[in-house]
Amino acid sequence: MKKRYVVLLLLFLFPLSGSFANAQVYSGERKFDGIHRNEVSGNLSGGFNVVTGWFIGEAGTYTRHFTDRWSLSAGQQVQFLKWLYSADVMGTYRLPLGRTNLYFDGRLVNNFYTQWDQYEILINASAFWETAHFDLRLGMSYIRYYKYKIKEEYQWFTDAGYTEPPTITFGLGLNLLPRTSSWNLGLFLRNYDQFYYENWNINWGVRFHTTLPWDAMKLFGEFNVRPAGSLSQLATRYETSLKLGIKYAW
Amino acid sequence: MKSKYILPLLLLAASALSSCHTLEEKISPAGILIAGTAVEDRIDMSYNFFLNHNDDFELLISDGDYTFLVGADSHVTTDPGRMDEMLAIGLKDDDLFYAHLGDIADTKARYYITLDSLLQEGKKRYVAKHYTEIDPFHYVANTNSDDHPLTSTYDEITFPFFPVVGNHDITRNGWALWSSIFHSSFYEIDVVVMLPDGDIAIDHLIFLDSASGTLGQTQIKLIEEGVLNGKYLKGGYRNTFVFSHTNIFRPQFNEFASTFTREETFYLLDKFEEWNVTCVFCGHVHTWDERNYNGVHYLTLDAMCERNNPDPGDYLVRVHVDSDGTVGWSPVHMDYTPKH
Repeated sequence: MKKRYVVLLLLFLFPLSGSFANAQVYSGERKFDGIHRNEVSGNLSGGFNVVTGWFIGEAGTYTRHFTDRWSLSAGQQVQFLKWLYSADVMGTYRLPLGRTNLYFDGRLVNNFYTQWDQYEILINASAFWETAHFDLRLGMSYIRYYKYKIKEEYQWFTDAGYTEPPTITFGLGLNLLPRTSSWNLGLFLRNYDQFYYENWNINWGVRFHTTLPWDAMKLFGEFNVRPAGSLSQLATRYETSLKLGIKYAW
Repeated sequence: MKSKYILPLLLLAASALSSCHTLEEKISPAGILIAGTAVEDRIDMSYNFFLNHNDDFELLISDGDYTFLVGADSHVTTDPGRMDEMLAIGLKDDDLFYAHLGDIADTKARYYITLDSLLQEGKKRYVAKHYTEIDPFHYVANTNSDDHPLTSTYDEITFPFFPVVGNHDITRNGWALWSSIFHSSFYEIDVVVMLPDGDIAIDHLIFLDSASGTLGQTQIKLIEEGVLNGKYLKGGYRNTFVFSHTNIFRPQFNEFASTFTREETFYLLDKFEEWNVTCVFCGHVHTWDERNYNGVHYLTLDAMCERNNPDPGDYLVRVHVDSDGTVGWSPVHMDYTPKH
């Protein structure tokens, strides 16, 4: 009964306050704990982007663990003032490797950048190796974007759209304490974030999570620095943001 | 404290210290490759220079049809052969102007001395071909048919070589070297075209500073204020050409050069459409690419640098603008091979 009220409260409060969250930000263990088959996580975000200026946002994800190997997630994001709307679904298979876990993620993401009428659809397939103190993601993205409002004389598929060549996905995370600890601090470096995948532009920062007094509820967050021109150019300020969220399992 | 925590703590401390720099203009996640001057400073300097030296960005004038020559990523070091060849080709074929898409030289002072000497020599040859010396200090353009033509001193004659700045141009003290020759990385030039019916048309050249992989806050603010959109022009521009270093589109899977971030890519695609741009020219990735995106043509040029492309090849592009405003382009072959 108590858990039901908590879930209803989360479902009610997060949209009102501008928040639902994505498990990509959470840095604790991802695997099914053997008891709670359902997870919902939500986060608020805010920051400054060189192109769009200040922005605030919310993101949320629901995950269902079908077995201790298979799970399915669905999420959404709205970034106000940047006017970015996102949605995704992700299927995951977990392969235990000794004390570590290797996850195979397949993900479909839609982003709609309404300021510029640009619609982006991407498919990402990646492997995520999670150990006690570090995690590593390697994979590939297939990204297509096109102008939502096209000139009448152009066929959208040929002239108003662009499919990027396959793009490598990479990410590295380090934890101060073992991942199973009730709290943790860590660093991350990657070319993707909750709902976008870049080419060679990386973002990096500090992340944390801690257990809240209520059972199965976690507080998590990260400070994210996203420079422009990261790897082959001189890194320059582009976007800085903070995320803070709650993950609840039942 | 357990020793196993020391390394992670040091990493966290380093990260926290580095994060403080995010409030400053420039950062480097690897702690290396920090530019001496960041994009906001470059735009401040460039725009102030542009405002105070408008005469240096004088109009280009064409009688009907004209052509211009575009090259990218020359990375001049000790052997400036390809740059010299580009200047010679443009002079021989009477191109109205040259545009260079950045990474013009690697950042050592002696390379810039070489480059500057090359451009000075190029200007001498340009003046000798297109101007007549009427006394030891004054010249008049050969195209001038006026009985009392305007005369210019040598210094007042603009050598029509217009570059944008690239990421390799701003490493170490690169901006100091680059700006000492070219002064501004963010500017515009109009091409006044005399039409056969006696009317005139104006084509627009926009040069953007994308050397840092972003236009930066100041440049975007100036663009949004309408600095480059020519709204004061009755009837607008006939053709608009944009020159920028960082490529918008990634030509192949195995190209490891950073492009713009997601939002900035979409901002630029939208802005080019709003400006009714005919063609956007980019470099940076050292690979050829051509495509259309919602009515705007994008050409990404291969590098003309001897080290990257030692064999002769089509590394330049010549753009043909007909008097009726029709635009076409053709590849231009370069024969120079490195001395070593």
